[in-house]
Amino acid sequence: MLSKLIKMFTSQNKESSKSQAKKRLQFALIYDKLEINDNTLKDLQNDIIQVISRYFEIDRDALSLEIQRGEETSALVFNTPILQIKRR
Amino acid sequence: MDGKILVITSGKGGVGKTTATSSIGAALAMQGNRVAVIDMDIGLRNLDVIMGLENRIVFNIVDVVNNRCKISQAAIKDRRIDNLFLIPASQSDNKDVLTTKGVKRVAKMLKKEFDYIIMDSPAGIERGFENSVVSADEAIVICTPDVSAVRDADRVIGLLYSKSITPKLLINRIEPARVAKGEMLSHEDVLDVLSIELAGLVPLDEYVLTASNMGLPLVLQKESKAGLAFTRIARRLNGETDLPIEVPTHKTGMWNTISKKFGFTK
Repeated sequence: MLSKLIKMFTSQNKESSKSQAKKRLQFALIYDKLEINDNTLKDLQNDIIQVISRYFEIDRDALSLEIQRGEETSALVFNTPILQIKRR
Repeated sequence: MDGKILVITSGKGGVGKTTATSSIGAALAMQGNRVAVIDMDIGLRNLDVIMGLENRIVFNIVDVVNNRCKISQAAIKDRRIDNLFLIPASQSDNKDVLTTKGVKRVAKMLKKEFDYIIMDSPAGIERGFENSVVSADEAIVICTPDVSAVRDADRVIGLLYSKSITPKLLINRIEPARVAKGEMLSHEDVLDVLSIELAGLVPLDEYVLTASNMGLPLVLQKESKAGLAFTRIARRLNGETDLPIEVPTHKTGMWNTISKKFGFTK
């Protein structure tokens, strides 16, 4: 009884395991949803190349497409050297 | 009028899909519906043994889809509960043997013959899942109050949405005493995380194991709390939409009641 009483008063400030579970889950689900699979990324890359190629000549081997994850936001970063502008 | 196809699914395995399928199916039949429960977990059949019908299998769902027999030949009639039928999975095929086209065709025929067709989907997000949801009118996602089951449920819920199905959530194996102690996610916590409509709440119950040991329908066990919860879920599915969802509670001792009053327990 006494130990129960002590435990009750001491555990007041300690976070319960279930609230830890809840917080961890909420973060996990947010990150899960930001994940893109390789095929989607590849399709996106091909589409971007198609559009850019209408206006520029680009070096297809040197370009990169990646997702940069920051603390609060994620960014899609596409990097390509321009070889020449297409005159139209 | 055509029957309804209800798919019971989950992200994580072992959370109680088969128990839920057999119990909700049995309860719907006892409420006067003609019900077929179908084991879609090809290669790993279980629904038959949970229902105690494993000795009566002649044909299975693969035979039906591949036109080797009629639905009426594969559907095993439960002798304890009127209007309850089981179509078992095949144990020898692998899970790729069914095509979505074939399942769709059979689903159409089943809807003509039954009020409710309940599909016990395999866990996860592979082919078996696709086949189970292809003709579904409604879906229930099952999870237990633990982090892995909830996370995997989120994935499946997303997939169902992408197929234009709005699922409901059934939280299984709730231990009210541990929820009260802050050791287990409450149903409110789970709903906060998943934001989905609730189908029902089912407490952890010893009767589930003993009933499955003997192949008895859980909903016929009068003292089974889980059985009662499944019966209420079936009643809500069957049109009693205003029947309130019961939150599992535990018997509180005097000490608990006092400490709760003073706000000692979280």
